[in-house]
Amino acid sequence: MQRPLAVLTFFFCLGIFVSSQISSSFLLAYALAVIFFSASLFSFKKGLVFNIFLFCLVFLLGSAVLKNSGTLPRCHIFNYVSYQHNQPYMIRGFIANEPQVKFRRTAFIFKAQEIQTANLHHRCCGDILVYAKSTKGLSYGEELILKGNLSKYIGLQQSYRNYLHNQGIFLVMRIKNAADIVRLNKNKGFVLEIFALWLKKKMEGIISKYIPSPAAGVLEAMILGERKNVGGFINNAMIKSGTVHILVVSGFNTGLVALIIILILKLLRFSKKARFYIAVPLLLLYCLLTGASNPVVRATIMTILYLFAYFVKSEPDIYQSFAIAALVILGINPRQLFDVGFQLSFMSVFSIVFLYPRLKSFLGLNFLKNKSLRFIADNFLVSFSAWIGTCAFVAYYFKIFSPVTVLANMLIVPLATLITLCGFSLIIFAFLFPPLAPFFASSSTLAVALLLHINSFLISIPAAYFYLT
Amino acid sequence: MFSLTLQERRVILFLISVALTGIGIDFLVKKYSRTKIIADFYQDIGKINLNSADKDTLMSISGIGEKLAVRILEYRSQKGGFHDLEELKNIKSITNYRYEKIKDSLCIK
Repeated sequence: MQRPLAVLTFFFCLGIFVSSQISSSFLLAYALAVIFFSASLFSFKKGLVFNIFLFCLVFLLGSAVLKNSGTLPRCHIFNYVSYQHNQPYMIRGFIANEPQVKFRRTAFIFKAQEIQTANLHHRCCGDILVYAKSTKGLSYGEELILKGNLSKYIGLQQSYRNYLHNQGIFLVMRIKNAADIVRLNKNKGFVLEIFALWLKKKMEGIISKYIPSPAAGVLEAMILGERKNVGGFINNAMIKSGTVHILVVSGFNTGLVALIIILILKLLRFSKKARFYIAVPLLLLYCLLTGASNPVVRATIMTILYLFAYFVKSEPDIYQSFAIAALVILGINPRQLFDVGFQLSFMSVFSIVFLYPRLKSFLGLNFLKNKSLRFIADNFLVSFSAWIGTCAFVAYYFKIFSPVTVLANMLIVPLATLITLCGFSLIIFAFLFPPLAPFFASSSTLAVALLLHINSFLISIPAAYFYLT
Repeated sequence: MFSLTLQERRVILFLISVALTGIGIDFLVKKYSRTKIIADFYQDIGKINLNSADKDTLMSISGIGEKLAVRILEYRSQKGGFHDLEELKNIKSITNYRYEKIKDSLCIK
């Protein structure tokens, strides 16, 4: 096996997938895994037989991990909720993410620690989704006592229900009165995340100060992963052209951040060792700042492995780092395999890594002498490879097929790179030399305006996209 | 004393080019902000033209549901189009609060 981790990750994912399709118990998967583990030990010195047993073992391990993740602990809040109980529940805990405010309503994930039912207090665990009306100023980590009814996903769209289920959130609490939220004025959040969110607020402040709306909303989405200020019209237009991926922080942004950090440290004459030790925590901070979504976690792990390979002067293998990133994410929560963000992120990168070099050598582009032509052809092949890998997923989840995607990505991705670089330059200059910031802001606004105009033009081309019914 | 690698030169030149473009745009916008091409390019980016949008497009704005989109279209056909965004307030269920929420997503051409 030239890439053992990649092969083993494939069998692990297959185990998760097959296990989700059949109804089997955790104990069965676990018992079989133990049997195959013993068989692997006995056939330790046999080449092919050992490999077969190992594949089966990893397959069953994936299956057992999924079944185990579906088993809730006895103290889970879900076990305390009864449908005969009509009284509101009182729950103590803390806010586990950055609250999102939309139309006088605040939404956040709440980590429950104690629940009161019928005057009895129980220690509990697990996350719930909370919708609270007329509440302002809530922040990540804040400890609260909430009073309200708990229900299972009532009034939510199916795709959002699936998303919540994959995140391990099974209950929703709706709070209508501000008086039903008691603020305990304590913060139980993770210190690094509190700092990351503080930094994010500062950056948002800079962007909205220097850049007019709606360009500010697009820039915030592209570099901070904050989509609340992106209008529905812009979002829909980007979905139609197949370029909505640039409105979320993805591996592309993480790679650019790594590049910017390394270049700044290089300019400041830091040694190779110091660059590695400074870049890694900064990348982790960026990952937290942008909400640690699947694509960002994948890209952060892959980038850190790349930096490590560069640091120890070894040749990085993209398939191996790809496999490690998948194993870390699925090891923490195997249900992420069914998350659309996870699937699109891994499929797009995999198809670029796998298809692009093959297409390039098949078409003989390596022999193209004209640099500009080679750049355009490369750009086309990367975009085409990503589209081939993801179009089936996009059609299935978003019910849209966009032939214009390849052309749109060829034009928009380079522009998005420029916008991201301009945006980060704006933030750095606004921190260090505020008088220069307006000039960087003007360039960023121009680039965003150009991007939106190009996108509008592309989706106005006949047969640019089709809705699938 | 002053030796830059190729990579460092690229970074410095990139930053200067961004700042230079920014200064140029800043000047253009200040001087010619009333010129139609500049106004169209900057002020209406990502906005929906109230005089040409269909029902689905209007519904893509958060704060406009199906009923309200239909009322907007009816008002537009009755009056022969919108001349000012403030006219939206004449439509039933568009309160000042809702108007403030949706006005940044709309433009009139």
